[in-house]
Amino acid sequence: MLETLNQPTYLHFVITVGAFGVFAIGLIGVLVKKNLFKIFLSFSLVESSLFLFFIGSHYDVGKRAPIVADGVMAFDHRMVDPVPQAMILTTIVIGIAVLALGLSYVVRYYRLSGHTRIDQMDELGEAS
Amino acid sequence: MSFKKTIKLKTILTALLVSLLSILLLKVITQVPLTSQALGITLLDLNRDLTHSANAVTSVVTYFRGLDTLGEVTILFLSIFGVGIGIDRSTQMKTILHYDNTLLKIGAHVLFPVIILFGIYIIVHGHLSPGGGFQGGVVIASAFLMKFLAYGDAYELDHRILVLFEALSGVGVVVLGLLGLLSGGLFLSNVLPLGRLGTLLSGGIIPLLYLFVGLKVAAEITVLVEYFLRTQDARDA
Repeated sequence: MLETLNQPTYLHFVITVGAFGVFAIGLIGVLVKKNLFKIFLSFSLVESSLFLFFIGSHYDVGKRAPIVADGVMAFDHRMVDPVPQAMILTTIVIGIAVLALGLSYVVRYYRLSGHTRIDQMDELGEAS
Repeated sequence: MSFKKTIKLKTILTALLVSLLSILLLKVITQVPLTSQALGITLLDLNRDLTHSANAVTSVVTYFRGLDTLGEVTILFLSIFGVGIGIDRSTQMKTILHYDNTLLKIGAHVLFPVIILFGIYIIVHGHLSPGGGFQGGVVIASAFLMKFLAYGDAYELDHRILVLFEALSGVGVVVLGLLGLLSGGLFLSNVLPLGRLGTLLSGGIIPLLYLFVGLKVAAEITVLVEYFLRTQDARDA
């Protein structure tokens, strides 16, 4: 059973299904939740599902991290691709920056209006 | 204590729709073959001769895609700038999350320099081990978070020093890039001796670049932590 799961095809399938599960949960949160704070956290969840999918789909069984240390003497072809990891590192930092900016706007909106619910927003007078 | 939970029909319908869409997308995605690793293998070969950095991810982040990292740091700066616009300097802000605990205060006092040292260790070993400027910078910011949690309003950050660190490290990245442009003809190309693979002083400009990035990230995340912890108006409390 465990050896079957360790094959690349099954591993990639499990990672893809799991990442899309997280993606679906985040998307449902974005569409259903009424609290602005929870909407931004759901966006963050969608983002992390993309990280999981991108890193997981470029992993192969038996490959090492692309670091020369701990007995590994040189770079060879049994190391995983370093490009997706570097890209996801960039994406994580940009995700933090965008999330911080969005949440700071939520804080300012709360100070302005006293609530954070999107179904009670009436700043433009569209309800009347 | 009983929880009465009602789920709306709209919620169920949305969940079903999103699940259906995800399953359809998943069916397409699983049929696409994975890309070959040609680019990664080429980069690993290049890394052996060009950068002498033991961590290939670090050399991709700071050397092969160094301009990208400059843009990323700029995006982080712009986001902190956008957060900073909302800070009202005229009112005193209070810390919303603060534990008045002697044990925590003593622990924070003892652990603060150790955590700073650990962050600097992660930053300067970014080209040798998993880690680097972003991770170490966040570790340094977590030391300041602990200070905020322990001391609350009594702990004051000197914003002039933070701005100085942030500005100087940002200028440092650009100056390194321009030095590379002047000597090698490429922005952020190597101007320093490469050194032996696996030692601390190796990799050319990569450790210096990651040090600047780490200081910048540490200063910016510290400002961010302070903003989100001090959101309560002192007049309301």
